[in-house]
Amino acid sequence: MIEVRRDMAEALAEAWSQIGRCGTWWTGAERVEIAAETRRAATCALCSARRAALSPATVSGVHDPCSSFPLASVEAIHRIRTDSGRLGAGWYERLLADGLSDAYYVELLSIVAIVVAVDTFRAAVGLPPLPLSASAAGEPARRRPVGAKPGLAWMPTLAPEDRAAEDPDLYRENPGPRERGGGNVHRALSLVPRSMIHWWDMFETMYLPAPAMRDFSREYRAISHAQIEFLAARVAALNQCVY
Amino acid sequence: MDGTSDVGVDCAALLSEFADSVLACHGAALDTSRKQLAAAIGAAGMIDAAAVIAGFNGICRIADATGIPLEPPKAELTAGLRADLGIDRFLEAKS
Repeated sequence: MIEVRRDMAEALAEAWSQIGRCGTWWTGAERVEIAAETRRAATCALCSARRAALSPATVSGVHDPCSSFPLASVEAIHRIRTDSGRLGAGWYERLLADGLSDAYYVELLSIVAIVVAVDTFRAAVGLPPLPLSASAAGEPARRRPVGAKPGLAWMPTLAPEDRAAEDPDLYRENPGPRERGGGNVHRALSLVPRSMIHWWDMFETMYLPAPAMRDFSREYRAISHAQIEFLAARVAALNQCVY
Repeated sequence: MDGTSDVGVDCAALLSEFADSVLACHGAALDTSRKQLAAAIGAAGMIDAAAVIAGFNGICRIADATGIPLEPPKAELTAGLRADLGIDRFLEAKS
């Protein structure tokens, strides 16, 4: 019997359910399709060949998708899922040239990351994958944060100091008390505020909220700070993640 | 496997083996490493370890797929470490 910490179990369930809700740029049905495509990538022959190649650019072919998305979206989902450590700015720029917009990309990325995290967790503890979320109706608002600026990442991001009056406070106040310092990794998804909150509200229960991360006077989990950071470093190395 | 290592982290070898088998999706190896880790640190510890592995498997994708840089103070602080471990060479594989 697997007994998952209550706060984490609730956060994982909420994050999974949110995939099916209407997003800022994608509809609920499209978001569920992104989740399905994320899982599909794990068995895509092209992705497998690229992953094994010295350079993914040396392998041509077409993906084996399960959705009706345009090729740029399928390429984004599959590469992020299967070979994220070798993604570069040139690859991202080609996606934009092929018609995928920056904000659509960011929301897509948040869903891929959540599917990867939830599926990985369940496999790790010996649980079967969750069925895909049911999709809800709704029309995406398609609104960008006014204060978002280019420069930090491949796409514009919203820094705490650049937030306009009409932008949500992603870092401390909205929709409740959060304490995110606005580090680069916090800002990564900030072009789509709801996606950023979607990810971080789940992730902080799996890892640690920022104040707990820096509080070495006590332990917040059943493993120590040192064990947590050791695991984080190991996973980053296995994924060839520079950050 | 006694779960000890010279890195100064309790059960580092077991944790590392668990992370490796989770990311490799090795069914039999994963079952074994999960049981060994749970026996060493308890079921709750194993579950929290699984959560960290899974969460970072997701956030690595966010970091790499947005191109966010390391903050300058962190980059400066870890320059020697990154050079020693060969982490900077990961950048050469990006396309």
